[in-house]
Amino acid sequence: MLLTALLLIPFLGTLALLVWPGSPSPQQLRLGTIAILSLQLLVALLVLAGFDIHQGGMQLLEQHRWLPGLGLDYSLGIDGLSLPLVLINAALTLVAAVITRDIDKRPRIYFAMLLLISGAVNGAFLAQNLLLFFLFYELELIPLWLLISVWGGANRSYAATKFLIFTAISGMLILGAFLGLALLTGSADFSLTPVLSDRLAMGGQLVLLIALLIGFGIKIPLVPLHNWLPDAHTQASTPVSVLLAGVLLKLGTYGLLRFGLGLFPEAWAKLAPVLAIWAAISVLYGSLAAIAQTDMKRMVAYSSVGHMGYVLLAAAANTPISLLGAVFQMVSHGLISALLFLLVGIVYRKTGTRDLEVLRGLLNPEKGLPLTGSLMIVGVMASAGLPGMAGFISEFLVFRGSINAFPVATLLSMVGSGLTAVYFLLLVNRAFFGRLAITPPSGDPLVDSRQDVRLAVVAPRETIPAITLVAAVVALGLIPSGLSRISEVATTAMSALSPGVG
Amino acid sequence: MPVIPAQLVVAPASLTREQVQARLLAGQTLLNDSADHLLEVVAVLESYGEVLDAYSKNLIYQAEQQFLNPLPIFKYLDGDFSLAKIWRHLNHDRINFEYAEYCMKAMLWHGTGGLDAYLDGEAFAANCATIIAAKRGRDPLLALLHPLAPAFLPELIRTAATVHALGQFWRVMSDLFLDLAAAERDGRVRSIPAVVEFIKQGLVAAAANPITYGVQIGGQQHWVLPPEAGLTFLVDVAVPYVEAVFLRGMPFLGTVSFNAQAQQISPDQAQFAYGALYADPLPSMGAGIPPSLLMQDMYRHLPESLHRWYQHQGRGEGDVRVKICMSFQKAMFCVTNAAINGTMPHALATEVPDEQAANAAYALAWATRLAAGRTDCLGGLTAGI
Repeated sequence: MLLTALLLIPFLGTLALLVWPGSPSPQQLRLGTIAILSLQLLVALLVLAGFDIHQGGMQLLEQHRWLPGLGLDYSLGIDGLSLPLVLINAALTLVAAVITRDIDKRPRIYFAMLLLISGAVNGAFLAQNLLLFFLFYELELIPLWLLISVWGGANRSYAATKFLIFTAISGMLILGAFLGLALLTGSADFSLTPVLSDRLAMGGQLVLLIALLIGFGIKIPLVPLHNWLPDAHTQASTPVSVLLAGVLLKLGTYGLLRFGLGLFPEAWAKLAPVLAIWAAISVLYGSLAAIAQTDMKRMVAYSSVGHMGYVLLAAAANTPISLLGAVFQMVSHGLISALLFLLVGIVYRKTGTRDLEVLRGLLNPEKGLPLTGSLMIVGVMASAGLPGMAGFISEFLVFRGSINAFPVATLLSMVGSGLTAVYFLLLVNRAFFGRLAITPPSGDPLVDSRQDVRLAVVAPRETIPAITLVAAVVALGLIPSGLSRISEVATTAMSALSPGVG
Repeated sequence: MPVIPAQLVVAPASLTREQVQARLLAGQTLLNDSADHLLEVVAVLESYGEVLDAYSKNLIYQAEQQFLNPLPIFKYLDGDFSLAKIWRHLNHDRINFEYAEYCMKAMLWHGTGGLDAYLDGEAFAANCATIIAAKRGRDPLLALLHPLAPAFLPELIRTAATVHALGQFWRVMSDLFLDLAAAERDGRVRSIPAVVEFIKQGLVAAAANPITYGVQIGGQQHWVLPPEAGLTFLVDVAVPYVEAVFLRGMPFLGTVSFNAQAQQISPDQAQFAYGALYADPLPSMGAGIPPSLLMQDMYRHLPESLHRWYQHQGRGEGDVRVKICMSFQKAMFCVTNAAINGTMPHALATEVPDEQAANAAYALAWATRLAAGRTDCLGGLTAGI
């Protein structure tokens, strides 16, 4: 019942917001949403408390027949792969609601959409039926499209439409692969547990796997399917970017591991060398593209493209360590990218720009944004994989687990990790060091020094979510055993599915 | 290109060289007269006066009591070695005497005026020789050090002389600024022109004060700066101080970095323009100019009236040191204004063409230097800092 509660709380919350009588103020709606999401986080923590870390398979199973003729069952379960993602979803949706301030139009719909996304993501992570997964996977699409197209930046229509087209294709490919599986196996059973692919010839497996790879590759996103992400991030508001980077991209990597690797382990082993090279290209392209960006948000968005490549590399290697690294990377990327987007949002709110050719000296102790800058430095250090923080553990596990299987691809990905330090140092150096300025440099430092920059002060409450995320990033870096205990049994079992390459 | 809201960046207009010259020749003050300016200048000078009092006492203590001490680790304690004082010092509950030393070093390095000329002369060298001979007999470390580095002890004495001279200069200025605050409270000073006139009168009154410095070694008095050197307050210390600290300063690693190899710093020290009148008030938290340490010290002694006024400007308490620096810059323009007025070759009302020409040339020379400074603080655009 706990897992159903993870669906009921956000969905009923959505309904409650929509039928809230009278004209509740945006602040009342926000507080209501925060209360609902706090309850969701509490239930997610109860799931964690009830989770048996020694058990490899699905736990807390809930199964009810729904439309047996279609093979659609209401079947939920959780394991060491999905539990961390459910927790991240609960935490980051709450963060997104907390950092939503000054919502000027249709707050009722905005918060309802936020809850709907959170419930749909929970459903996707918990679904034990392929069609049920697909329903939830598609369910989050429309609210997210609305969040970008209604509450986004100046070019929001373009970005939202692009997002919709890409992810609709992603959904079609995934549905096609699931239906293809049923067609080729002659079974209408879409439940996740039976390994249907055993009955398939390798050719069929490969075709279905490639469809899934492209489908989930769009969502992750992997190069060259990434084109929608930087635009979506640039136009999305800060809370939506936090959700998008922190939670929604993980649907892609989760799907890849659960359905790509889980359903087609033999075909996966055959494609693994190609996937490893694809991962390395994605990492390097994402990192190099990030270096070229002058918009802080686009830079962080491209860093996501690069960092998600590590998950593909780990999945390709398919060793117990690399898969554990993949889970760590999903969690740490969720926390770190959410932190970075949140901080970029504060900079944008205070200065009116994210342009790295304009912003300088924001670390100024008296008239700049010193705490925001300090947290940004911690965030980029974590993203660059410095020891003591979450990024280091995840990258170390991914590289350690993959180096024997794919040494070249791993080494190239390690170069990408080094490039992370390059572009984030560029970001910090340009935006935070030097003389405070938020206008283009005149070329004469003395003229620039005549400018009195009057930024509004960042209130402590604006920084509390970021400080919480920093604490989580450091805690995961210093005490990684908590997460590894949750996921290790599941990832080891998953790597045993296939002969593997590692 | 992003559209930055206009209220986030303000760049007040600077005065041109001609405007500065015109104000000087017309007898107008460089700083616009306004109630806010009066509050800022008088109150910030009052806190500066309190700080200068502490600086002055410490500099004189250092020069007299820590003379030729090669390891002066207790030089900031003013002779009070109680545990409470040491704890407050270590806990940084103290005045930043480092800033006073920074100013002394600026004077020593730029070396202009009569004091520097005397320190390079033979009379001073002879004094040094006598003092070192007396000191070597009592201090084995110095006896060992002097033959190894014969230029070291004379340089320490030269430094001590500058330290003492600056201490004497600030003694006068401290009293003058505290008197100014009292005069404003009494209603004798009610405008910026009255402030400038008050400071000018103070400088003129002290102009001929002798600058002397002697030390006691073995119960015997030795002159470092003897009365017969004829050094006086205004010409030999005040003017070199203004030159070194207000105008030239030092290129420092602050929020704006200068690259000497790229010729961003003139090889001619006389061309330096990094002093207090040119400084960017944004703090670098260093000891240089903009003088973040001085701002911390003045904040300790900030009069309540100005403190309250700052609460309603900008970030209130959050950027208070920047605001103190901006007010301080206005006050320093007033002091410079007073010094220029006091040293004008002829009365401004003169109708003799040659004298008018001399005044115009004098004003132009100052205007040329000042126009490159932070004259943007003078225009009176103070609302909503």
